[in-house]
Formats: sequence, structure tokens, C-alpha cells
Amino acid sequence: MADKAREQEYKEIFVAESFEEYDAINKYVTELEKKPGDDKLVGEIFRMLHNLKANAKATGYLNVSQFAHTLESVFGAIRNKEVKFSGKVVPVIFESVDALGLMLKFLDEPEKAALDPTLEKNLEIILSPASNEAIDEKNIKHYHTAQNISLSDLIYIPIRKLDDMMNLVGELIIDRDRVVNFSANHEDPGLKLLSSHLYRITNEIQQAVIDARLVNIGYLFNKFPRIVRDIAAVENKTIDLEIIGEDIQIDRNILQILTDSMLHLVRNAITHGIEPAAERTKNNKPETGNITISAQNDKDTVLIRISDDGKGIDENMVLQHAIEQNFITREKAHELNKKEILSFIFEPGFSLSKEITEFSGRGVGLDIVKNAIDSLGGRLSIDSNTGKGTTFNLYVPTSIAVKGALLFEIENNSFAIPLIHTDAVVTLDRMEIHEVGNAMVADIKGETLRLIDLKGLFQERGISKPAYKQDLADIVSVIIVSYNNRQLGLIVDKLIRQQDIVVKPLQKPVDNIDIFGGVTLLGNGEVCLVLDVPSISRNFILKKKEMPAVPA
Amino acid sequence: MKQKILIVDDSFYMRTILKNMLSDAGYSIVGEASDGVTAINMAKETNPDLVTLDLILPDNTGLDVLKAIKKDNPRIKVVIVSAVGQEAIVKEALNHGAQSYIVKPFAEDKVIEIINNAVNDTVAA
Repeated sequence: MADKAREQEYKEIFVAESFEEYDAINKYVTELEKKPGDDKLVGEIFRMLHNLKANAKATGYLNVSQFAHTLESVFGAIRNKEVKFSGKVVPVIFESVDALGLMLKFLDEPEKAALDPTLEKNLEIILSPASNEAIDEKNIKHYHTAQNISLSDLIYIPIRKLDDMMNLVGELIIDRDRVVNFSANHEDPGLKLLSSHLYRITNEIQQAVIDARLVNIGYLFNKFPRIVRDIAAVENKTIDLEIIGEDIQIDRNILQILTDSMLHLVRNAITHGIEPAAERTKNNKPETGNITISAQNDKDTVLIRISDDGKGIDENMVLQHAIEQNFITREKAHELNKKEILSFIFEPGFSLSKEITEFSGRGVGLDIVKNAIDSLGGRLSIDSNTGKGTTFNLYVPTSIAVKGALLFEIENNSFAIPLIHTDAVVTLDRMEIHEVGNAMVADIKGETLRLIDLKGLFQERGISKPAYKQDLADIVSVIIVSYNNRQLGLIVDKLIRQQDIVVKPLQKPVDNIDIFGGVTLLGNGEVCLVLDVPSISRNFILKKKEMPAVPA
Repeated sequence: MKQKILIVDDSFYMRTILKNMLSDAGYSIVGEASDGVTAINMAKETNPDLVTLDLILPDNTGLDVLKAIKKDNPRIKVVIVSAVGQEAIVKEALNHGAQSYIVKPFAEDKVIEIINNAVNDTVAA
């Protein structure tokens, strides 16, 4: 099943911890030789061997476990004063520790670490106080441990240290861009060469830190078979869970943030998506419901999908609930397409469910998912077909600090918009724009796209200003953004370029301007505000109040 | 409401396995401790429903921890999870208030069953 990744993880932990224990044993035994009366040392050595014995057995390395058990008994006897750590016992112990080290080194090739029969006999003698046999010291092998120091390849590092590194890389990139920009404006071949090298190296450091923070998405996905089984049992349904893409890598912190969202969506799939067996049979579906959680890479984004073959989400019912719960007026309702209708389920307080089950509670709680994805600068969308099933698509960046962005200009000021929310860029002739009610729209490939004049928006400091077609230039550049299944066209003066940016949060006193999610520093030293697409969408898509009338 | 468990074991490997096993089974792991003093303090701080306790710890023996926890908060169930299997030790632990005793290495379903029973105060296996 999907326990493979976990088994591998456990083995890696076992190996790392065992080497630590082996080193400790080695150190303590060496100390014990100088202070044979030190009971604390004996106690510690006993504890190390005790753990090795238990953990090796649990991981299936029986040779290690058995040998550790033998040594544990020896040190137990030393602790109980039945055996003295002196005389010929000492070299036997040292040889044993070396033998143990060899076993650990060749964990998967135990034949290379087979125990020397003389050693085994000597240990037997030590453990049988009644025996009169003498320890065979002539044939004692000497492992030359001084020539063989090996360090574990795996180290433990608190994620906090990697967080710190990531922040520093962010700062470095900002300064690097300043240097590159400076070099571009000064004729100095030496500087140009240096700055070009610096550019490359900084990219590589960034990549290395991002890489160090990556974990397999399987660590999260592998928790789900058990979870699905339990929820299915309560709901009286049989579910087949398929997991795809366990080896896809993602930033550890991003994965942490995704855990609750995935749990929510999987619960919903079982509770609300998959129909009871009788209903499925009636609709010619197999009794067993299918749920798939999958992950795939798309450049620096990871797409995570939670898919079920249940009854799907009825957009008419969603629309009905949305109208009843005052999320939209009946008049505006018919302007929405299916994708836009479905996106209501992410609104806080929206509820489709009338039943409360042990796991699902009231309402669908999907706004939690939306908030989590937003906080990551990711994107959420949903596809559904009545009777066939539902798929949730979570697009998240592979790494948090650095984002791809599209830079644009309004009145000679630069702004940025995260690429993850950007669908396309189009140029429109003013003639193609129409005013409908108090909004501007255009027809893009058969779909009606609502347009927002960003200049007007910014000028009014966040208060929506009616967009007047006559204020526009003859040719306008439009960035089509997507949020929560809905699209908006943002009219800008000019597009500048795409580039990776490091987004810093807004500081007080400007941190409550919601249409901007942060700020970045461009290479030329210019401060560039970063648009918060969710916020802009909220202002324009779910308006319940009318905009002021267009002047005649 | 998820029941709370505090895991006490000086081996990171063992704590990891127990943590995964028990949270998969629906428990909330409120803390991990690798020595006796930390274990006693964490028990007071997090007020778990159940503590899994290893007997061989760096600073105290597990029995001292068992006694201290039961004294501070007798309501907390303590399940010994240890590679020490001698009958005398098992008896002593049970006498000092341990709910049940699991000998390492253990099978997952057996552990879950024992923990479930312990938390719900059914007779120990």
C-alpha cells in the first residue's frame, strides 16, 4: 500500500539513531575503561544497547537485535556486579562494540558483518559465571576502528533553521538585483562579469535552500488510507482510495499548511460526494466509491487533486442556496457561469448540507481550505459533473518566499501580480469593450469577462470607482486573473515583464490596504506593490450593492 | 473530541512510530518527552488522557515517572511501552498504577487495542 514511504522514513531514522547510539556506546566504554567503577556510565551503555535491541527488532534487523541483546545482558550483569569490567573482559567488550559497528555499517549485507565465533564464545563465557572456561585472548580480533570513522549521512535539522536560511536568501536576492541593476547602468566590464557571476551563484543558493526544505508529499498522503477507512466506516460506505504522486516533492511548511485542507476535502468527498451504496447501484455505478488523491509538478507549482466519483455538485442547488443565503441577488445570478456558481461553496458561512455527521459538522467548511490556499499564494478551483463526480484542484507553489510575478505599469508606477493567479494577457481595442449596467465587459473567446480599470481603482484608494469606457485609451492591455473559479480582466497601462520576486509583507501604517498583499524591491531600487488578487476579486465579484450609474 | 496522548520514550525512532500509529488511530498527540523530568512536567502542562511510558530513561527509571504522574494527577492513564519484559517488572508497574503494559516490539493493532481499552478504562490486557 502506501506504507512504502513510511517504511523508508522509519529505516532512515533507525539508521541515524543507531549510529548515534553506537558512537555513544563507544565513547562511554572508552571512558569506562578509565573509570571502571562509574555506575552511571554502565547505566547509559545499558540504555543504549536496550534501545538498539528493541528498535533493531522492530525494523527487522534481527542480527543487530540479537547481538545488542547479548551485550545488554553483559552490561546488565556488570550493573548488578555479577561481572567486573576488568581484565580479559575489557578487550572482549571493545571487540564486541566494534563488531556491532560493523553490523550497523553493513545493515543490508549482514554476511559482511558475521560474528567471529571466538567472540561469541567469549561472550558466552562472560555470561556464565559458573563456567570455568577461560576467555580466549589469543584469537581476539582487533578491528582497527581508528581507520574507520563513518558519519551518518542523515542529519536532523530543525525546520526553523531552514526558515532562517530561506529568509536570508530572500534578502540576498534583493541585494543581488540591486547590484545587477547598478552594473547595467555603469560601463565597467569587471563589474559586469562579477555581477553576472553573482546572479548565477545566488540563483543556485536559492535553489539549494529550496531543495533542502523539500519533503515527499507521500508523508502526508500516506496518512489517508487509515483516515478514509475510518470515515467510510462511520458513513457506512465502502471506499477505494488511490494515491498518485507520493514522490512529488514540496516545501515542508507548505505541506504542513495543506494538511487540514486535504483532510477537509477528503472528508467531504466521502460524506457528501460519494452516494450511499443503494443510490450508486440504482445509477449503475459500482457500490464501492472511488477517491483519488494525486500530486503532479508543473514547473514551480504543485497541483494536488482530490477527486471522487460521487454525485457531483448540483450547480442549480448551489445557486439556489446562494440566493437564499444572500450571497447574490436573483437578478445577478443569471450572469454567472457554472464555474463561478460552484465557487460559492468556498464562501464562509455557505452551507449545502442539512445533516450533521460526526465528522462533517454543519456546513461544508470549505472556506478554511480557501483561506489556507490563499495564505500560500496558491489557487483553488473545482470541477464537477452532476452524477459523475467532483474534483478539487489545489495549485500551490513549491516554495514560499520567492514567487513568479508579472510586472505592469500604471501611471509610471510599477506593480506586480503573482503569476499563479494570472491566466493570460490580452490586448483589446476600446471598441471591443462594452458597458453593461455599471460594469465594463468584453467578449474573450466566447466568454464574457468583467473588466476592472486598475488606475481608477488605485486612484480612489480601494473604493470602487465606476469605470468609464471613455476614460480608456484606444488600445488597452488587460491581465486576465483567476480567483476562486472566477475570472476578471484588469486594465493596466503597460505590461513590463515577468520576473521572480521576493514578497515582503506590508508594514504599518499601510498594512491594512487590502488590495495589496505585500511589496517587493525591484533591481532599480523602485518599490513595487504586489496586488492581492483574492482581495480585488472580493471587491468586484460578490458585490451585493449596485455601483453608481454611468453618466449619460 | 480527540483524546490526548503524551509519548515518553528516549528513542526518537520509537516516538516517531508511536506518534504516527496513534494519530492515525485518531488520537491527538499533545507532546513527546525523552527523559523523566520533562515527562513529568509535560504531563502537568498538557494534561493528557493517557501517557505511553518507556521504562528505561536517561535520568529516572520509568517507574519513578509513573509514580509521579499518578500522584500529581491520578486521572491520567499510563500505559507502559517497554522492551523490558520480566514478569517482576510488569507486576511492579501494574502495582504502581500502570493501566496496561506493552512489550516491545509490538504489533500495531495490538497496541491500538490496548490503548483504546486503557483510555476507556476497560480491564487491561
